Amino acid sequence: MVMDDKRAFARGFREILPLSMGAGIYGLAFGLLAAQAGLDDLEVGFMGTLVFAGASQIVAVERIVAGAGSLVAVVAGIALNLRLLLITASIRDVYAGRPFWQVVLGAHLTTDENWALMLAARARGEQAGYWYLVGAGINLILVWVVATVAGVSFASEIADPRALGMDFAFTAAFIAIARSLWAGRPDLVPWATSFLVVALLMLPGWVDASWAMIAGGVAGAVVAALGPGRHE
Amino acid sequence: MSDTWLVILLLAVATFAIRMCGALLGQRLPQQGSWARALKALPGSLIVALVSVSLLAGGPAEWVAGAIALVVATLTRNLVLTMAVGIGAIWLLRFYA
Repeated sequence: MVMDDKRAFARGFREILPLSMGAGIYGLAFGLLAAQAGLDDLEVGFMGTLVFAGASQIVAVERIVAGAGSLVAVVAGIALNLRLLLITASIRDVYAGRPFWQVVLGAHLTTDENWALMLAARARGEQAGYWYLVGAGINLILVWVVATVAGVSFASEIADPRALGMDFAFTAAFIAIARSLWAGRPDLVPWATSFLVVALLMLPGWVDASWAMIAGGVAGAVVAALGPGRHE
Repeated sequence: MSDTWLVILLLAVATFAIRMCGALLGQRLPQQGSWARALKALPGSLIVALVSVSLLAGGPAEWVAGAIALVVATLTRNLVLTMAVGIGAIWLLRFYA
Protein backbone atom coordinates (compact mmCIF):
# COMPACT_ATOMS: atom_id res chain seq x y z
CA MET A 1 0.00 0.00 0.00
CA VAL A 2 1.66 3.22 -1.12
CA MET A 3 1.02 6.66 0.36
CA ASP A 4 -1.84 7.58 -1.97
CA ASP A 5 -3.57 4.28 -1.20
CA LYS A 6 -3.32 4.90 2.55
CA ARG A 7 -4.71 8.38 2.10
CA ALA A 8 -7.61 7.07 0.01
CA PHE A 9 -8.29 4.36 2.63
CA ALA A 10 -8.36 6.96 5.42
CA ARG A 11 -10.61 9.26 3.41
CA GLY A 12 -13.12 6.47 2.70
CA PHE A 13 -12.98 5.40 6.35
CA ARG A 14 -13.74 8.96 7.46
CA GLU A 15 -16.35 10.00 4.89
CA ILE A 16 -18.54 6.92 5.44
CA LEU A 17 -19.03 7.85 9.13
CA PRO A 18 -22.53 9.37 8.86
CA LEU A 19 -23.68 6.32 6.91
CA SER A 20 -21.99 3.85 9.25
CA MET A 21 -23.70 5.55 12.21
CA GLY A 22 -26.98 4.80 10.44
CA ALA A 23 -25.82 1.21 9.95
CA GLY A 24 -24.98 1.08 13.66
CA ILE A 25 -28.54 2.01 14.65
CA TYR A 26 -29.80 -0.61 12.24
CA GLY A 27 -27.34 -3.11 13.63
CA LEU A 28 -28.80 -2.64 17.12
CA ALA A 29 -32.28 -3.22 15.72
CA PHE A 30 -31.07 -6.34 13.93
CA GLY A 31 -29.56 -7.67 17.15
CA LEU A 32 -32.94 -7.19 18.80
CA LEU A 33 -34.61 -9.27 16.11
CA ALA A 34 -31.86 -11.90 16.26
CA ALA A 35 -32.45 -12.28 19.98
CA GLN A 36 -36.13 -13.02 19.27
CA ALA A 37 -35.01 -15.66 16.75
CA GLY A 38 -32.89 -17.28 19.46
CA LEU A 39 -29.49 -16.40 17.98
CA ASP A 40 -26.58 -15.87 20.39
CA ASP A 41 -23.78 -13.29 20.17
CA LEU A 42 -21.35 -15.69 18.47
CA GLU A 43 -23.83 -16.51 15.71
CA VAL A 44 -24.69 -12.84 15.20
CA GLY A 45 -20.99 -11.90 15.07
CA PHE A 46 -20.21 -14.54 12.46
CA MET A 47 -23.29 -13.65 10.44
CA GLY A 48 -22.34 -9.96 10.35
CA THR A 49 -18.76 -10.71 9.34
CA LEU A 50 -19.47 -13.41 6.75
CA VAL A 51 -22.75 -12.23 5.21
CA PHE A 52 -22.23 -8.48 5.76
CA ALA A 53 -25.46 -7.46 4.02
CA GLY A 54 -27.82 -5.89 6.53
CA ALA A 55 -31.14 -6.05 4.76
CA SER A 56 -30.72 -9.72 3.82
CA GLN A 57 -29.73 -10.60 7.40
CA ILE A 58 -32.84 -8.87 8.68
CA VAL A 59 -35.08 -10.64 6.18
CA ALA A 60 -33.53 -14.07 6.81
CA VAL A 61 -33.79 -13.78 10.58
CA GLU A 62 -37.30 -12.36 10.31
CA ARG A 63 -38.27 -15.50 8.34
CA ILE A 64 -36.80 -17.63 11.14
CA VAL A 65 -38.85 -15.70 13.72
CA ALA A 66 -41.92 -16.28 11.53
CA GLY A 67 -41.16 -20.00 11.65
CA ALA A 68 -40.74 -20.23 7.88
CA GLY A 69 -37.86 -22.72 7.88
CA SER A 70 -34.19 -22.51 6.95
CA LEU A 71 -34.53 -22.83 3.19
CA VAL A 72 -37.06 -20.00 2.93
CA ALA A 73 -34.84 -17.82 5.13
CA VAL A 74 -31.83 -18.39 2.88
CA VAL A 75 -33.76 -17.88 -0.38
CA ALA A 76 -35.32 -14.64 0.93
CA GLY A 77 -31.87 -13.37 1.88
CA ILE A 78 -30.42 -14.30 -1.51
CA ALA A 79 -33.26 -12.60 -3.40
CA LEU A 80 -32.52 -9.40 -1.53
CA ASN A 81 -28.80 -9.67 -2.30
CA LEU A 82 -29.06 -10.20 -6.05
CA ARG A 83 -28.78 -6.44 -6.48
CA LEU A 84 -25.19 -6.74 -5.16
CA LEU A 85 -24.33 -8.43 -8.47
CA LEU A 86 -25.40 -5.29 -10.29
CA ILE A 87 -23.63 -3.11 -7.75
CA THR A 88 -20.24 -4.84 -8.07
CA ALA A 89 -20.63 -5.15 -11.87
CA SER A 90 -21.32 -1.42 -12.16
CA ILE A 91 -17.94 -0.54 -10.59
CA ARG A 92 -15.91 -3.13 -12.47
CA ASP A 93 -13.04 -0.63 -12.99
CA VAL A 94 -12.43 -0.67 -9.22
CA TYR A 95 -11.45 -4.36 -9.17
CA ALA A 96 -9.82 -4.45 -12.61
CA GLY A 97 -6.16 -5.53 -12.73
CA ARG A 98 -5.99 -6.20 -8.96
CA PRO A 99 -4.47 -9.32 -7.36
CA PHE A 100 -7.10 -11.94 -6.61
CA TRP A 101 -7.04 -11.44 -2.83
CA GLN A 102 -7.79 -7.74 -3.33
CA VAL A 103 -10.72 -8.56 -5.60
CA VAL A 104 -12.02 -10.97 -2.93
CA LEU A 105 -11.57 -8.39 -0.15
CA GLY A 106 -13.03 -5.52 -2.18
CA ALA A 107 -16.02 -7.51 -3.40
CA HIS A 108 -16.87 -8.77 0.09
CA LEU A 109 -16.65 -5.23 1.52
CA THR A 110 -18.85 -3.67 -1.18
CA THR A 111 -22.25 -2.61 0.13
CA ASP A 112 -24.91 -0.15 -1.01
CA GLU A 113 -23.49 2.47 1.33
CA ASN A 114 -19.79 2.61 0.37
CA TRP A 115 -20.61 1.95 -3.29
CA ALA A 116 -22.95 4.95 -3.37
CA LEU A 117 -20.55 7.10 -1.33
CA MET A 118 -17.71 6.36 -3.76
CA LEU A 119 -19.91 7.24 -6.74
CA ALA A 120 -20.94 10.50 -5.09
CA ALA A 121 -17.27 11.39 -4.48
CA ARG A 122 -16.55 10.69 -8.15
CA ALA A 123 -19.54 12.79 -9.21
CA ARG A 124 -17.94 15.69 -7.31
CA GLY A 125 -14.84 15.22 -9.45
CA GLU A 126 -12.78 13.61 -6.69
CA GLN A 127 -10.53 10.57 -7.10
CA ALA A 128 -12.14 7.60 -5.39
CA GLY A 129 -11.30 4.01 -6.19
CA TYR A 130 -10.43 0.66 -4.65
CA TRP A 131 -8.83 1.81 -1.38
CA TYR A 132 -11.48 4.46 -0.80
CA LEU A 133 -14.12 1.75 -1.15
CA VAL A 134 -12.20 -0.67 1.11
CA GLY A 135 -11.53 1.98 3.78
CA ALA A 136 -15.22 2.82 3.92
CA GLY A 137 -16.09 -0.90 3.89
CA ILE A 138 -13.79 -1.68 6.85
CA ASN A 139 -15.44 1.08 8.87
CA LEU A 140 -18.89 -0.29 7.96
CA ILE A 141 -18.11 -3.92 8.80
CA LEU A 142 -16.58 -2.94 12.18
CA VAL A 143 -19.57 -0.81 13.13
CA TRP A 144 -22.00 -3.43 11.81
CA VAL A 145 -20.49 -6.34 13.74
CA VAL A 146 -20.08 -4.39 16.97
CA ALA A 147 -23.61 -2.96 16.77
CA THR A 148 -25.32 -6.25 15.90
CA VAL A 149 -23.50 -8.13 18.69
CA ALA A 150 -24.31 -5.32 21.12
CA GLY A 151 -27.93 -5.47 19.96
CA VAL A 152 -28.31 -9.19 20.65
CA SER A 153 -26.48 -8.88 23.98
CA PHE A 154 -28.53 -5.96 25.30
CA ALA A 155 -31.75 -6.76 23.47
CA SER A 156 -34.05 -5.79 26.33
CA GLU A 157 -32.77 -2.21 26.62
CA ILE A 158 -33.00 -0.95 23.04
CA ALA A 159 -35.57 1.47 21.60
CA ASP A 160 -37.30 0.86 18.28
CA PRO A 161 -35.40 2.83 15.57
CA ARG A 162 -38.67 3.52 13.74
CA ALA A 163 -40.02 5.46 16.70
CA LEU A 164 -36.98 7.75 16.45
CA GLY A 165 -37.30 8.23 12.68
CA MET A 166 -33.94 6.50 12.22
CA ASP A 167 -35.32 4.07 9.65
CA PHE A 168 -35.46 7.04 7.25
CA ALA A 169 -31.71 7.73 7.57
CA PHE A 170 -30.72 5.63 4.57
CA THR A 171 -33.59 6.85 2.39
CA ALA A 172 -32.47 10.44 3.02
CA ALA A 173 -28.83 9.49 2.38
CA PHE A 174 -29.67 7.82 -0.92
CA ILE A 175 -31.75 10.83 -1.97
CA ALA A 176 -28.70 13.05 -1.38
CA ILE A 177 -26.48 10.63 -3.30
CA ALA A 178 -28.94 10.35 -6.21
CA ARG A 179 -29.01 14.16 -6.38
CA SER A 180 -25.23 14.28 -6.65
CA LEU A 181 -25.23 11.61 -9.39
CA TRP A 182 -27.79 13.53 -11.46
CA ALA A 183 -25.97 14.69 -14.60
CA GLY A 184 -28.83 16.46 -16.36
CA ARG A 185 -31.39 15.72 -19.09
CA PRO A 186 -29.91 12.42 -20.38
CA ASP A 187 -30.66 10.87 -16.98
CA LEU A 188 -34.33 11.87 -17.05
CA VAL A 189 -35.76 9.02 -19.15
CA PRO A 190 -33.69 6.19 -17.56
CA TRP A 191 -34.45 7.41 -14.03
CA ALA A 192 -38.15 7.91 -14.74
CA THR A 193 -38.23 4.39 -16.22
CA SER A 194 -36.59 3.00 -13.12
CA PHE A 195 -39.16 4.66 -10.86
CA LEU A 196 -42.15 3.64 -13.02
CA VAL A 197 -41.08 0.00 -13.24
CA VAL A 198 -40.66 -0.16 -9.45
CA ALA A 199 -44.06 1.49 -8.92
CA LEU A 200 -45.88 -0.73 -11.45
CA LEU A 201 -44.44 -3.95 -10.03
CA MET A 202 -44.62 -3.06 -6.38
CA LEU A 203 -47.86 -1.17 -5.86
CA PRO A 204 -50.27 -3.90 -7.06
CA GLY A 205 -48.28 -6.29 -4.87
CA TRP A 206 -47.35 -8.50 -7.83
CA VAL A 207 -43.76 -8.93 -6.81
CA ASP A 208 -41.70 -8.53 -3.69
CA ALA A 209 -39.98 -5.15 -3.18
CA SER A 210 -36.48 -6.59 -3.70
CA TRP A 211 -37.41 -7.96 -7.13
CA ALA A 212 -39.09 -4.67 -8.04
CA MET A 213 -35.87 -2.84 -7.13
CA ILE A 214 -33.74 -5.09 -9.34
CA ALA A 215 -36.18 -4.85 -12.25
CA GLY A 216 -36.32 -1.05 -11.92
CA GLY A 217 -32.53 -0.70 -11.86
CA VAL A 218 -32.06 -2.96 -14.88
CA ALA A 219 -34.88 -1.26 -16.82
CA GLY A 220 -33.31 2.16 -16.32
CA ALA A 221 -29.91 0.89 -17.47
CA VAL A 222 -31.41 -0.79 -20.56
CA VAL A 223 -33.23 2.39 -21.55
CA ALA A 224 -29.97 4.33 -21.16
CA ALA A 225 -28.15 1.76 -23.31
CA LEU A 226 -30.75 1.96 -26.09
CA GLY A 227 -30.97 5.72 -26.16
CA PRO A 228 -28.37 8.18 -27.42
CA GLY A 229 -27.07 10.53 -24.72
CA ARG A 230 -23.88 11.02 -22.76
CA HIS A 231 -23.20 7.40 -21.88
CA GLU A 232 -21.24 6.79 -25.13
CA MET B 1 -24.95 -28.49 12.80
CA SER B 2 -27.92 -26.43 13.92
CA ASP B 3 -30.34 -24.80 11.51
CA THR B 4 -29.13 -21.33 12.45
CA TRP B 5 -25.54 -22.07 11.50
CA LEU B 6 -26.76 -23.61 8.25
CA VAL B 7 -28.67 -20.44 7.38
CA ILE B 8 -25.66 -18.26 8.25
CA LEU B 9 -23.20 -20.32 6.18
CA LEU B 10 -25.47 -20.76 3.15
CA LEU B 11 -26.36 -17.08 3.07
CA ALA B 12 -22.69 -16.13 3.51
CA VAL B 13 -21.51 -18.36 0.65
CA ALA B 14 -24.32 -17.25 -1.67
CA THR B 15 -23.80 -13.55 -0.91
CA PHE B 16 -20.07 -13.78 -1.49
CA ALA B 17 -20.65 -15.64 -4.79
CA ILE B 18 -23.07 -12.90 -5.89
CA ARG B 19 -20.56 -10.14 -5.11
CA MET B 20 -17.70 -11.97 -6.86
CA CYS B 21 -19.86 -12.75 -9.91
CA GLY B 22 -20.55 -9.07 -10.45
CA ALA B 23 -16.92 -8.06 -9.94
CA LEU B 24 -15.56 -10.75 -12.32
CA LEU B 25 -18.41 -10.75 -14.85
CA GLY B 26 -18.36 -6.97 -15.11
CA GLN B 27 -14.75 -7.05 -16.30
CA ARG B 28 -15.57 -9.60 -19.00
CA LEU B 29 -18.31 -7.48 -20.53
CA PRO B 30 -17.33 -5.22 -23.46
CA GLN B 31 -15.86 -1.80 -22.69
CA GLN B 32 -17.84 -0.13 -25.50
CA GLY B 33 -21.29 -0.26 -27.05
CA SER B 34 -24.63 -0.97 -25.39
CA TRP B 35 -23.28 -3.16 -22.56
CA ALA B 36 -20.87 -0.42 -21.52
CA ARG B 37 -23.62 2.21 -21.70
CA ALA B 38 -25.94 0.05 -19.60
CA LEU B 39 -23.29 -0.58 -16.92
CA LYS B 40 -22.45 3.11 -16.81
CA ALA B 41 -26.08 4.06 -16.31
CA LEU B 42 -26.72 1.27 -13.81
CA PRO B 43 -25.60 2.99 -10.57
CA GLY B 44 -27.93 5.96 -11.03
CA SER B 45 -30.97 3.91 -11.98
CA LEU B 46 -30.31 1.41 -9.16
CA ILE B 47 -30.17 4.18 -6.57
CA VAL B 48 -33.39 5.64 -7.98
CA ALA B 49 -34.96 2.16 -7.73
CA LEU B 50 -33.73 1.84 -4.15
CA VAL B 51 -35.20 5.19 -3.13
CA SER B 52 -38.43 4.43 -5.00
CA VAL B 53 -38.88 1.16 -3.11
CA SER B 54 -38.46 2.76 0.30
CA LEU B 55 -40.69 5.73 -0.52
CA LEU B 56 -43.43 3.58 -2.08
CA ALA B 57 -43.33 1.22 0.90
CA GLY B 58 -44.09 4.23 3.11
CA GLY B 59 -46.97 6.68 3.03
CA PRO B 60 -47.55 10.44 2.75
CA ALA B 61 -45.20 11.13 5.70
CA GLU B 62 -42.33 9.40 3.86
CA TRP B 63 -43.16 11.19 0.58
CA VAL B 64 -43.16 14.64 2.18
CA ALA B 65 -39.96 13.91 4.13
CA GLY B 66 -38.41 12.60 0.91
CA ALA B 67 -39.32 15.81 -0.93
CA ILE B 68 -37.85 17.89 1.91
CA ALA B 69 -34.65 15.81 1.80
CA LEU B 70 -34.42 16.35 -1.97
CA VAL B 71 -34.73 20.12 -1.53
CA VAL B 72 -32.01 20.13 1.14
CA ALA B 73 -29.77 17.92 -1.02
CA THR B 74 -30.24 20.24 -4.01
CA LEU B 75 -29.58 23.41 -2.02
CA THR B 76 -26.67 22.24 0.10
CA ARG B 77 -25.14 19.14 -1.58
CA ASN B 78 -24.47 18.02 1.96
CA LEU B 79 -24.98 14.36 2.88
CA VAL B 80 -24.97 14.71 6.66
CA LEU B 81 -27.32 17.70 6.64
CA THR B 82 -29.71 15.92 4.25
CA MET B 83 -29.79 12.88 6.54
CA ALA B 84 -30.32 15.01 9.66
CA VAL B 85 -33.14 17.06 8.11
CA GLY B 86 -34.73 13.91 6.65
CA ILE B 87 -34.75 12.13 10.01
CA GLY B 88 -36.07 15.25 11.76
CA ALA B 89 -38.80 15.70 9.15
CA ILE B 90 -40.02 12.10 9.29
CA TRP B 91 -40.04 12.20 13.09
CA LEU B 92 -42.16 15.39 13.16
CA LEU B 93 -44.49 14.16 10.40
CA ARG B 94 -45.14 10.82 12.08
CA PHE B 95 -45.57 12.48 15.44
CA TYR B 96 -47.93 15.31 14.46
CA ALA B 97 -49.53 14.30 11.16
